[in-house]
Amino acid sequence: MRVVLAEDLYLLREGLIQLLTAHGFTVVAAAETGPELAAALAEHEPDVAIVDVRLPPTNTDEGLRIALEARRRRPGLPILVLSQHVEQLYARELLEDGSGGIGYLLKDRVLNAASFVDAIRRVAAGGTAMDPDVIAKLLSRARPDSAVDQLTPREREVLDLMAQGRSNAAIAQRLFMSEGAVGKHTANIFGKLGLGLSDDDNRRVLAVLAYLDSER
Amino acid sequence: MTARLRAFAAGLELYALALTGVLALVPILLVMPFGLLLGLVFLLPAPMLAARRLTGRVRTRTRELAGFDVRVPYAAEPPPPVRQPDGWYQRDRQLFKHAWWPRTEARIEWVLGDNATWRDFAWLVLAPVGGLPGVLPVALPVAAALLLATTTMTATLPAVALVVACAAAGFALAPAGLRLTARFHRRLLGGPLLRADVRDVRPRHPVRAWAARSLRPVLQLAVLLLTSVTAAVVFAATVAGLILAYGLGLIFVIPWAQADLRFAANWRRSLAPWSGVSIPSPYRPLPPLVRRPDGMYRVGKSLFKTPRWALWSQRMHWVQTDPATWRELLWRGTDPVVGGLIAGVPVFLVVYGIWGLVLPRIVHFLAGGSPVSFWYGRFLGEPAAAIPVGLALAALGIVIAPAALRLHGRWSRLLLAPTGDAVLAQRVEQLTLSRADASDAAARELRRIERDLHDGTQARLVALGLSLGAIEALIDDDPGAAKALAVKAQDSAAQALRELREIVRGIHPPVLAERGLADAVRALALDCPLPVTVEVDLPVRLPEPIEAAAYFCLAEALGNAVRHARARTVAVRLDVFGDVLRMSVRDDGRGGADPSGGSGLRGLARRLGIFDGTVSLSSPSGGPTELIMEIPCASSSPRTSTSSAKA
Repeated sequence: MRVVLAEDLYLLREGLIQLLTAHGFTVVAAAETGPELAAALAEHEPDVAIVDVRLPPTNTDEGLRIALEARRRRPGLPILVLSQHVEQLYARELLEDGSGGIGYLLKDRVLNAASFVDAIRRVAAGGTAMDPDVIAKLLSRARPDSAVDQLTPREREVLDLMAQGRSNAAIAQRLFMSEGAVGKHTANIFGKLGLGLSDDDNRRVLAVLAYLDSER
Repeated sequence: MTARLRAFAAGLELYALALTGVLALVPILLVMPFGLLLGLVFLLPAPMLAARRLTGRVRTRTRELAGFDVRVPYAAEPPPPVRQPDGWYQRDRQLFKHAWWPRTEARIEWVLGDNATWRDFAWLVLAPVGGLPGVLPVALPVAAALLLATTTMTATLPAVALVVACAAAGFALAPAGLRLTARFHRRLLGGPLLRADVRDVRPRHPVRAWAARSLRPVLQLAVLLLTSVTAAVVFAATVAGLILAYGLGLIFVIPWAQADLRFAANWRRSLAPWSGVSIPSPYRPLPPLVRRPDGMYRVGKSLFKTPRWALWSQRMHWVQTDPATWRELLWRGTDPVVGGLIAGVPVFLVVYGIWGLVLPRIVHFLAGGSPVSFWYGRFLGEPAAAIPVGLALAALGIVIAPAALRLHGRWSRLLLAPTGDAVLAQRVEQLTLSRADASDAAARELRRIERDLHDGTQARLVALGLSLGAIEALIDDDPGAAKALAVKAQDSAAQALRELREIVRGIHPPVLAERGLADAVRALALDCPLPVTVEVDLPVRLPEPIEAAAYFCLAEALGNAVRHARARTVAVRLDVFGDVLRMSVRDDGRGGADPSGGSGLRGLARRLGIFDGTVSLSSPSGGPTELIMEIPCASSSPRTSTSSAKA
């Protein structure tokens, strides 16, 4: 799988290249600055791009803006955005076009290599990978009288993991239950939130995220 | 029929309450001489608070009987004094052993400082008259009977018929009379409706609007005339004081004559906005008392052993050396003539035209008599000219009033505005204070960051290093244990990162650095547990220190709305007027936030003060609460970002 990487810190960049290579990815370009990233994305047409929000030369949200721009030019281009901090504002902008292939994770998540690599694969396959912090904030600020409040604790756990973008199988493994049970919980959740149940995993996640974002 | 009966019964009940008001007036009038003349002010609040029970009852009954909602206008009761760790109670800059006096003082200030108290008082006095329309079925026949008794009408039958007719008419008009009375109660007991944050519910009537517009300058000039009269009295008192001081050597009256009598000038300054100008206070700040190394206090060229005399002498010195004092003395002497003429001419024209010519002429015409005076009701001895000339004079007064008002403002500014020196002295004082605040705040912030790093991140990194050392030792002999330790080390690193993130957010939020103020505020709104609408209209990117200050102030204001206001929604607005960044945070909570209390508001004022910014709070009981913060900003680096978003 071909990866374009953009990260300005040398140590982290090298570490990521090592980690990705060890897990069978091919890093076709490792950009240091915003313009380099834009050029690399245009030249290599990667399977997935891993992009730091803050890049030189302006050291503002260069990476995020270039990534969004690249996605406008090539809809559905899988992009995993990494940052030292997560903002719902950015999550919303990334999810705005309603198509999949979006990841938004704290840099901390790199520490857990297995789950990080899993997130990259999910994004590359057109799924989503939202940072647990983003989901926790979305869930915590739902109104007290909202439908989210009527979920059982177990259903909330399932919703949390589902919103992060995990598949039924992954959720089942994580919560030590059968996939069938997860499916039942999912159906219950969608019923309570009044959302139409879809077979497409990715559509399902986007629906949940849009719902949580509007629910306030 | 039943509606009229019910209105009559309601009017009777409200009138009975109004009469009870006269009884409630008795204790107030009894304590007033003692309170105001003998200085026993602590007697005053109790009967006034007792009267509030009655007026409260009138409010509820007016709503229940006449359907008129009467707002409860009182300010919130002050919190009880808090005992400090050293066992004393503090009020202003005084310490007290017992809570009684500070509490009483706070209550006096609360009750007597509330305009609603005085409107209540006016209601108690006026209600027996204001309540009359509510009892028309009784009031009209009684009035008719009284009128008949004064005339020489002898026939009884027509007289009785007239009284009965009056009673019937009163009965027919009972509902209208009740409404009139209820309006009277609402006017006086419901608080002023002419406030910026409470919309006047009366429909705009063109005639009423015209009358208000044209008469307002005349009324304002009349009040300004009153300040000139006060200035004359104050001038006389000052001259008397100075004669006593320099003639008889009673120098202790000097600070009184010069400083304590500044209220007249201050009153005039506070009214200056009517004239379209603003007059800031010109007085130099009272300098702090300096103690020399030898323990003496120095004031001017004199040394004092005790602070008591030093303070007195310093006040004297401060008053006498301030040029504003002498300019004001000149004003006190000249304003009764100059200011009095400017304000007096239009007022005189209107008053003489209407009350001196038109009205007497009408009364004389109706009564059939003829005025004897040369000028009262006649113009130059000519009765027929009275009405046209009177109307012309009044019209002239109304026409010249706006110009007179502007001229008056310029005259007041001439002697009462601060001179360039005074403005500079005040600026220096203000900058000294805000610089101290800024350096304090910076030191505190650095200390906090140091503590957070020391207790959190550094400790975690030490733990991480220890874990790695242990892993190195274990990895050959016991790979299982080493693996478990590696997991722990990872947790440690993740925790350290989390804490660092929080610290960074406290120093300078990353989203502010990446996106600027507009998006940072939107991000803030998204993280808020309440629905927050954000409207931002910033034509340019502001200087970084101002953006940061604005961000932290907004974060604090939003936090307050969430914590205290029991709000359901919050609206944040940011825009730039001229060179001022204006931020408003408005919630639909319960209101009643106290602008004087609350360390949060003081903290905001301090933070903004560093940039010459201000904060103001409007929070009537029942809401809505609006906090407005303003920072002057000379904006740099042009960048356009105009949009609004719902978060």
